[in-house]
Amino acid sequence: MDPSEDSPAQAAAWITAYRAAAGVDVMAGSNDPAWAAMLEELAAVASNLAHARERVQRHAADIGTGFRIIGETDERPWPVSPVPLLIDTGEWAGIEAGVIQRAALLETILADLYGPGRLVADGHIPAALATGSPYFLRPMVGITPPGGHHLSFVAFDLARGPDGEWRVLADHLRNPAGAGYALENRLAVSRTLGGLQNRLNVQRHAPFFAAFRAGLSAQCRRADPRIGLLTPGRFNPSYPEQAHLARYLGLLLVEGADLAAIEGQVYVRTVAGLKRIDALWRRLDPRMLDPLAFDSHSQIGVPGLIDAYVEGQVVIANAPGAGVLESPAVSAFLPALARHVTGEALRLPNIATWWCGGARQAAHVADHLDTLLIAPAFGPRPLGLPAGARPGASLSPDERAALLADMARRPQDYVGQEIVRLSTMPVVIGDQLAPRPFTLRVFAARDGEGRWTVLPGGFGRIGDHPEATAAMIGEGLWSADVCVHGAEPVAPVSLLAAPDSLHVRRNPGTLPSRVADNFYWLGRYLERGEALLAAIRVMLGNSIDVDGGAALDTRTVGRLVGLITGGGAAPHPDSLHRAALTQFARTAMEDEGFHSVARINRLARGISEGSRDRLSADMVRLLEAPFPSHVGMLDRAGSLQRRYAAIAGLSAEHMVRTTAWRFHDLGRRVERAIAVARATRLFGMAGASADDLSTLLDLANSQISYRQRYPTGLARVAVVDLVALDPNNPRALAYQTARIADGLSRLPVLSDDDMAEPQQAQAIAIRAAVETADARTLDADTLGDVERRLGLLSEAIARRYFLQGAEPLRAGGLTLA
Amino acid sequence: MIYDIRHITRFDYGAQVKYARCNLRLKPIDWPGQTLESYDLIVEPVGRTRAAHAEAGLAHVTRLVVDRPVRSLTIESRARMVVDRPVPMPSPSDPTLADVSALARSSRDLSAASPANYIFPSPLIPLDPAIAEWCAADLSPDRGALEAGFALANRIQREFAFDPTATLVDTPPAEAFRQRRGVCQDFAQIMITGLRAAGIPAAYASGYIRTLPPPGQARLVGADATHAWVLIWGGPQAGWVGVDPTNGIWMAGDHIIVAVGRDYAEIAPVDGVVLGSGAQKMDVSVDVAPLEEMVAG
Repeated sequence: MDPSEDSPAQAAAWITAYRAAAGVDVMAGSNDPAWAAMLEELAAVASNLAHARERVQRHAADIGTGFRIIGETDERPWPVSPVPLLIDTGEWAGIEAGVIQRAALLETILADLYGPGRLVADGHIPAALATGSPYFLRPMVGITPPGGHHLSFVAFDLARGPDGEWRVLADHLRNPAGAGYALENRLAVSRTLGGLQNRLNVQRHAPFFAAFRAGLSAQCRRADPRIGLLTPGRFNPSYPEQAHLARYLGLLLVEGADLAAIEGQVYVRTVAGLKRIDALWRRLDPRMLDPLAFDSHSQIGVPGLIDAYVEGQVVIANAPGAGVLESPAVSAFLPALARHVTGEALRLPNIATWWCGGARQAAHVADHLDTLLIAPAFGPRPLGLPAGARPGASLSPDERAALLADMARRPQDYVGQEIVRLSTMPVVIGDQLAPRPFTLRVFAARDGEGRWTVLPGGFGRIGDHPEATAAMIGEGLWSADVCVHGAEPVAPVSLLAAPDSLHVRRNPGTLPSRVADNFYWLGRYLERGEALLAAIRVMLGNSIDVDGGAALDTRTVGRLVGLITGGGAAPHPDSLHRAALTQFARTAMEDEGFHSVARINRLARGISEGSRDRLSADMVRLLEAPFPSHVGMLDRAGSLQRRYAAIAGLSAEHMVRTTAWRFHDLGRRVERAIAVARATRLFGMAGASADDLSTLLDLANSQISYRQRYPTGLARVAVVDLVALDPNNPRALAYQTARIADGLSRLPVLSDDDMAEPQQAQAIAIRAAVETADARTLDADTLGDVERRLGLLSEAIARRYFLQGAEPLRAGGLTLA
Repeated sequence: MIYDIRHITRFDYGAQVKYARCNLRLKPIDWPGQTLESYDLIVEPVGRTRAAHAEAGLAHVTRLVVDRPVRSLTIESRARMVVDRPVPMPSPSDPTLADVSALARSSRDLSAASPANYIFPSPLIPLDPAIAEWCAADLSPDRGALEAGFALANRIQREFAFDPTATLVDTPPAEAFRQRRGVCQDFAQIMITGLRAAGIPAAYASGYIRTLPPPGQARLVGADATHAWVLIWGGPQAGWVGVDPTNGIWMAGDHIIVAVGRDYAEIAPVDGVVLGSGAQKMDVSVDVAPLEEMVAG
C-alpha cells in the first residue's frame, strides 16, 4: 500500500495542513513530539490517509468486532479511526487520580444509601434524589453486598473542555460497557502501527484486566472460584463485546437460563450437572436479574438469584442498585458531597448541574434557561421534555411554555446543565486529517486487594459534526484508541506470570448445557445443509458418472425429489421437467419459508453469533459469511458446499477436543447417520437401477472410493456395503454409529455406578445393529428402524444434556373489583 | 371492629406443573388504625415457604417453592384484624397541594413509607399526559391536599363506569382512562397518575373491604374480591390518608390494608414463575366478616 518514502516529511505536512484547519484541539495545540511520531508511523504504513483508515478497518474486521444497532438484525463493522488519541503520562496522572477519587466517592455514597442512610437523614441529599431513579432498587436497602463492594468496575465519560480541563459528563455504574471495544481498538491500531507501542512507550491494557479478574476472585468465598459474565443474550447490542471480554478474561459466558438458584446457592447448568458459580459480572439490566425480587415479567432472569445474593452465596458486580447514582441530578450534589465525605474537592469536576428539585436551583435554571441545557433529572423523559434533553435556547415558545408549566408542577424531574464545548482531535475524513470533537470513556476496576486501578487509555468517541457540544455528540460516529505514553519504557507484561490469569485455562467440566445444545445443533445443521446441497447438485446433474450431465433416469430423479421434499426443503414440483426442477432447486436452496439451505444456513449462523466466545475467528467468518450470490444455481451450491467443507475441515483439524467439540461432532454424526440410512433405503434396496446406485454413491460422497475398490462397475451389494456398513469409510453409516457410541462414552456421566446412561446404551445398541448387518440381507425395514432409533437417541441426548425449559407461565394477578 | 378474613386463591393447571416459585403478599401489614391479631397461611398440596429477604414495598412477602409436580395449587390466607380508623376530616388549615409537594421533594426519609417514594412515575403507572390534564382540574396548587384528593376521587367515581369486563389486570391506565370504565385497580391507577403528575405523593393500597354492609347500608363495590385504592400523603401531620375512588369514599373502618406499594407490581398478592406447558386458570374468593358479637355490640 505504497508507504511514504519520507515519512517524517509526510507527517510534518499533515500536521501543518491540520493546524490551519483546527481550533481548540489536542494535537494542533500541543508541542508534544509524540503526535508527529505517531503520524510518521502512519506515513510509514501508507502515504494516503484513506488507505491507512481502510487498513485499520480491515484489522478491526479481522478481529471480529461488530456491533448491532437496536432493531437491526445484522452487525455493523466496528468503525475505528486510524489516528489514536495521545495523552502523556503527566496529564494522565491527573485523570487517573480523579477517576479513583470519584469511584471511591460513589462507593461511599452507595454504601450509605443502601445502608444507614445518614446522608439523607442529615440533609446532604434529599430522599427524592434516590427514589427518582428507576435504578434505585429498594429491595437492596439494608443488604451488604457479598463481596463487600457495591462497585467493582466503573466507566466514566470525560470531556476535554476548550481550556484543556477534563470534566465528567456521565457515570456508568449499571452497565459500564465499552472496555471490550477499547481492547479491540488497541489490537486493530497496533496491528497497523506496529512500532508505535515501543516508540512512544504506550502503556499496556493487559495488567488492568488481569487486576480486575483478580479483584473479582478476591471477593469470592472459594479459593478457585467459578465466575460468569451474565449476558442478556446475543440480541443485545453489545453482545459481541461481552463475548470478547468473556473470552479475554476467561469468564464463563452465561445467560439467565444457564443458571439455577436452589436453596440459596447459585449453579450453572452444565453437561456434567449443576456446578456452583461464585460470582457474576452482570451485563443484564439489574431489574431483570430475578423475577421474584424485581420485575416479575423478566423472562431472562434467574428466580431466587437475589435471595442467594442476600445470603452472601454469590457475588454480583456491580451490586444491583448501583445505577441509582447515574442520574444527572446526582451531579448537582457531588461537589458538596466530595468535600463532606472525602474532605477534598472533586479532582475531576462534573459539568455544572442544577437540580430543580431544590427551590434556589430551580430559580437559577429558570433565570438562565437560554444558556443551559435542560435535561431529564433521572433518565425517563418528563412531560415537559418529550424529546429528551434540549438546549433551553432551542425551545420554541410553545415548548418553552409547556416546559415551564411542568417544571412548576414537578421540578424534581429536571436539571439544568452547563453547555460544554469540546476540544477536537484529528480524524481521517476523505484523505485528510480533520478536527472533530470527542469524548473519552475511561474504566476503573478493583484489583485483588480491593484498590481501584484505572485502564491506561480507554475508548475515544468522535462526533460527526465539526462543531459540537457534549450534549450533541451522542453515540458518535467513530471510535479511537487512546494511548497513554511517556518517557519511561513500559515493562513487558507476561500474562502467564500473573498469579490469577486464567487466559489459558480450559475447564471442559463447566460446559453450560445451552452451549452443548448449540454446538450439537451447529453440527446437525451443517451436516443437514451439506446433505441437502449434495442432493440438489446431483439432481441438477452434477455427477462424475460417465453419463453425468445427461438426465438421470426419471425414477431416480423422482426419488431425489422425494428426498428433498421429505426434509421439508421445498414443496413437490409440478413435474420433473428441467424448468420445474430448476425452480424446485431454487426454492430448496434459498426460500426461507421452507427448510431450505438458506434457512439451515441462517440457523447455523445464529448459533455462531451466540457462540463467538468459543469459536475461532476463522470459523466465525466462514459461518457468518453472506449467502453466496452467484448467478447459476450450481455455482451457488458449489460455492456453499466448498464453504461447508472448509468449516468441516476447521472443526476436524483445528478445534481442540473439548466437551463442546464432542457435542459438535455428535451432532454431525447423528445427522449424517440419519441421512445415509435414508439415502441407502431410497436408492440402495433390491431392484435399484444403476442411476440409483450412482446417485447413492454421490450422496454418500463415495464415488471415488467405490471406483478404486470395484473397477468392474456398479453392484448393489458392494455399494450398500461401502456406504452403509464399511466401518472404514468416514461417510458410511457404520462409521457414524461407531463414532456416536464412542463420543457418548467420553462425555460426563452423572452417576458413579459405572452403568451406562440411557443415551449411551441406545447408541451401543444402534452400533451393534449396524455392525452385525450384512449388505446382502440389509432391508428397508432394518434401515428405517435404525433411522427411527437415531431420532430417539437424539431426544435422549437432549434430555440428558440440554436445557429442558417448558415455557414459564406467570402466576399473574388477582381478581380485582 | 374485628374482622375474620378468608382469602382463597386456587390455580388449576392444564398440564402438570413441574416447578413453581412464587411471591405471596397475603399477610396484612400493620398500619395506623389496624392490627393483625392472628394469621394462618395454608398451601395445598405442599410447598416450602419462607419470608423473603429483600422486598420493595410495604408488604409481608413470603416466597413459596413447589418442586413436586402438581396439577393444582390452593393458597388460603386467614387473618383476624382489629380495625379502628376514624373517617378523615379535611380542614382549611391542612397543607396545600403546593406545600405537600415541596415537603415531599425535600423529604429526609428514605424508608418505604417516605412520601419521596411515591412522587415519581413507577413501571406500571407512567405519567400519562391525558390523565394528568384531566385530573389537574381538581388539583390547583393552593387547594388543601386532602380536600382536593377527595374531590378527585369523587369525580372519578361519578364519571367512570364500573365494568369488570372492560379491563384486565395488566391493562395500562391510559387505556382504562380512554374507555372511562374499569375496576378498582384502573381507578386507583388513574388517580395516582393525576396526583403524581401534580407532584403529590400517592401510593397504591391493596386489601379488602367488608363483604356485607352494616344493616341499612348499601353493599360496597369490590367486596367479594381483593380491592385496591389510593393513599395520599397529606403532610407530616396527617400522614398517609386513604381514599377509595371506586366507591368515592374515605378509607375508614370498612377497609383493611394488606400491602402498600408504588404500583401493583409491588403488592401483587401472588406472582412468580411456574414451569409447565399448559394453560392456567385462577379462582379467587374473599370473605370479610365482622365477628358477630361485635356486630351485636
